[in-house]
Amino acid sequence: MEEKDKELFSFADFDEYKSEHINAPRYSYWKSVWRTFISDKFTVAVAIILIIVVGFALIQPSFSGYDPMVAPNINNGAMKFLSPSKEHIFGTDNIGNSVFDAVWAGAKNSILVSFICTAINMVLGIVVGAIWGFSKKLDKYMIEVYNVVSNVPFLLLAIILSYVIGAGFKPLIFTMTVTDWVFVAYFIRTQVMIIRDREYNLASKCLGTSTWTMITKNILPYLISVIMTYVSREIPSLISYEVFLSYMGLGLGSSIASLGKIISQYTSFMNGYPHLFWIPVSVMAIISISLYIVGQKLADAADPRTHR
Amino acid sequence: MKGNKGYIWKRLVRSVLSIIVIMVVVFIMVYSLVPRENIFFNDGTYSKLGGKPDEKKDYVMRTWQKLGYLDYQTINTYCEDLYGDNTEKVSACIIPESNESKDFVEKYETQGYTVETLQVSKRYYAFKDVPLAKRLLTWFKDLIVIDHPWKIQDENNPDLERYIKPGLTETGGLALRASGTLHKYLIYTDTNFPFIHQNIITLNMGNSYPTYQGLDVLDVIFNYQGTEVKRPVTYETGYQGDSSVIFGTLQYKPILDKMDKQKFVDNYADAKLLKNQQSMIGTSFIMGIFAMVLAYAIGLPVGLSMAKHKDGLIDKLGMVYIIFIIAVPSLAYIYVFRYIGTKFLGLPSVFPTFGASDIRSWILPVISLALPSISSLMLWTRRYVVDQMNSDYVKFAKAKGLNQSEIFRSHIFKNAIIPIAQGIPSSLAGCITGAIITESIYSVGGMGKMLPDATKQYNNVMVIALTFIFSSISVLSVLMGDLVLTWVDPRIQLSEKEGRS
Repeated sequence: MEEKDKELFSFADFDEYKSEHINAPRYSYWKSVWRTFISDKFTVAVAIILIIVVGFALIQPSFSGYDPMVAPNINNGAMKFLSPSKEHIFGTDNIGNSVFDAVWAGAKNSILVSFICTAINMVLGIVVGAIWGFSKKLDKYMIEVYNVVSNVPFLLLAIILSYVIGAGFKPLIFTMTVTDWVFVAYFIRTQVMIIRDREYNLASKCLGTSTWTMITKNILPYLISVIMTYVSREIPSLISYEVFLSYMGLGLGSSIASLGKIISQYTSFMNGYPHLFWIPVSVMAIISISLYIVGQKLADAADPRTHR
Repeated sequence: MKGNKGYIWKRLVRSVLSIIVIMVVVFIMVYSLVPRENIFFNDGTYSKLGGKPDEKKDYVMRTWQKLGYLDYQTINTYCEDLYGDNTEKVSACIIPESNESKDFVEKYETQGYTVETLQVSKRYYAFKDVPLAKRLLTWFKDLIVIDHPWKIQDENNPDLERYIKPGLTETGGLALRASGTLHKYLIYTDTNFPFIHQNIITLNMGNSYPTYQGLDVLDVIFNYQGTEVKRPVTYETGYQGDSSVIFGTLQYKPILDKMDKQKFVDNYADAKLLKNQQSMIGTSFIMGIFAMVLAYAIGLPVGLSMAKHKDGLIDKLGMVYIIFIIAVPSLAYIYVFRYIGTKFLGLPSVFPTFGASDIRSWILPVISLALPSISSLMLWTRRYVVDQMNSDYVKFAKAKGLNQSEIFRSHIFKNAIIPIAQGIPSSLAGCITGAIITESIYSVGGMGKMLPDATKQYNNVMVIALTFIFSSISVLSVLMGDLVLTWVDPRIQLSEKEGRS
């Protein structure tokens, strides 16, 4: 080589720290989840709609002060069954109350009930289900516990609970979670069983990994997408559950509004005054659909294999 | 599967134990937590007795005794036992001041009964609660009834023959004929599903109350519904006529009327009737099976192709459908769907318009029932297949040059189907429990409403019988599901092996 070229180069010093360090881009799990999540503009838009709707449902009732037991226009025929207009955005119902206020008051309670119940069911279900699926000794007993708990007729239990603890917000949450978590646990148990005996877990066990580490590091991360899919179905299904209980007269009681009760109440007006039925159904659909889309995207984003 | 044999036996035993525990729990709930006064809410006789406190009390007590809540004794029966038909003595005996009344009070108080007087006539009666454990034992003891030639012991018919021999039924089917038994034919064949029937072992779960009053609860759900189907028959006496009698089900009838004597040579004259509609359980099962087949036939392939073309058009359309089904209450979409079906396809809006024999009646209910199952099958198939598609072995197979369809068919599908296969026995079992919303919208006479209605109307006998049937089936289907799981994925071990923890 020529002298001239040599001048362009210089010897580098030996750096022990750098030579011992593998040079890879820093990977943060939660940052990657976030990045994958916000990369889809559509999902972000849906998430914003969801936040606005849920926020509105949580705040509006405190301003309107809607109470299903108060019906000031019940004897005023001119106020009943009004179509949506500027004054009454969603129109009025069979007793002359504003559907707008009723729907949001109902939405608030239904959202709270389904969120709280989902949280309780999922936490209990995942913890119990993971241990249950992993331990064959426990499976022997837990499968019978499942058989017993899941087969006690739910409506009978709900009726008896309504005698013992009455109707209302907290009793409803108790009724809807007291046996429902078992189904989540059984679902997780089957999922864990499927992965439990896979080769990489056998290898991990041979190497002496503790049960706890195997559940939290080997198995549960694998199930995040499945769990998120379950959650995004659970919330709408709990709202329908509440509809069923209200229909049977066992829900929140007549003094507390709920979306389920409003829908089952207005079903009879579907032919004459379709807006009464379709407005609460649409509000429920908007909440469920956006929750579902956000949940599915979170499920995809939470899967490390989709991270680039 | 071979190594699982011991496991299956042990698990079956434990399943039976679970069913017993379920029954204990339900017995406690139904008979001690639900107030026993509630059973009269829907009883017409009870409300008619409103102005007569004595008769009302007597009716209440008698009903409770019939349902097994308590043992009930009255001064009237006590006196009738003492003096028989001597009406003068009996009427002197039942007044509260009589010596016999004192004896009655003393006798039952020492036996631990509660003795009270009626409100108006002041006559004595005594009652004692039957312990729950005893009731449960009686229920299980009476559950299985085995028919044998010494079953009927009728004082009025001492010459009843006792035999079992092969023969033919009146309609010409092969049968095992017997006498002295409860049933005339222990085994018989006819043209109705499942063609060979047996009467040797029957189940007895008590009589329904207050709805379907007096009927055996199993007859309520298993017997044909609708109007009778008559066909010309020749009886054993040579008598000919149109009748809907199912001869295979003939039972012993202690007292025969004139018509019976004309038609039958012996005391076996009580039979079930052939009607034009399937039983409640049959209707639900037929509907459920077709809906299930439809759901798997559509849900699986569509879910698979959604995953194959992830983020493509079919995936997006499928997602729209899934989200629609999940987000809209079933009440709403079944109405929408029914509207489309009746308006544009000319299908009947309710089941009874054309009845069970016309296939058009079934189309809308079956599809309505399948809609949610299709969506959930699509959803889970897609999820499982997508999860498999991202796994390393698929990437490896791709790198080795396998083509897309082969990877899908022999690698992804086999792994993705595992959790879905586990659910098949449960969805099969679910057909029997019926579908509450679909059945009530289309007025189908199925099982869906039975348990909620029985619970709401405090038909405790029915609640217990249905819980027993449903829980037995579902416990078995959980076991079947686990066996299917080990069958489709031999890596999964249900039991612990020696040397492995």
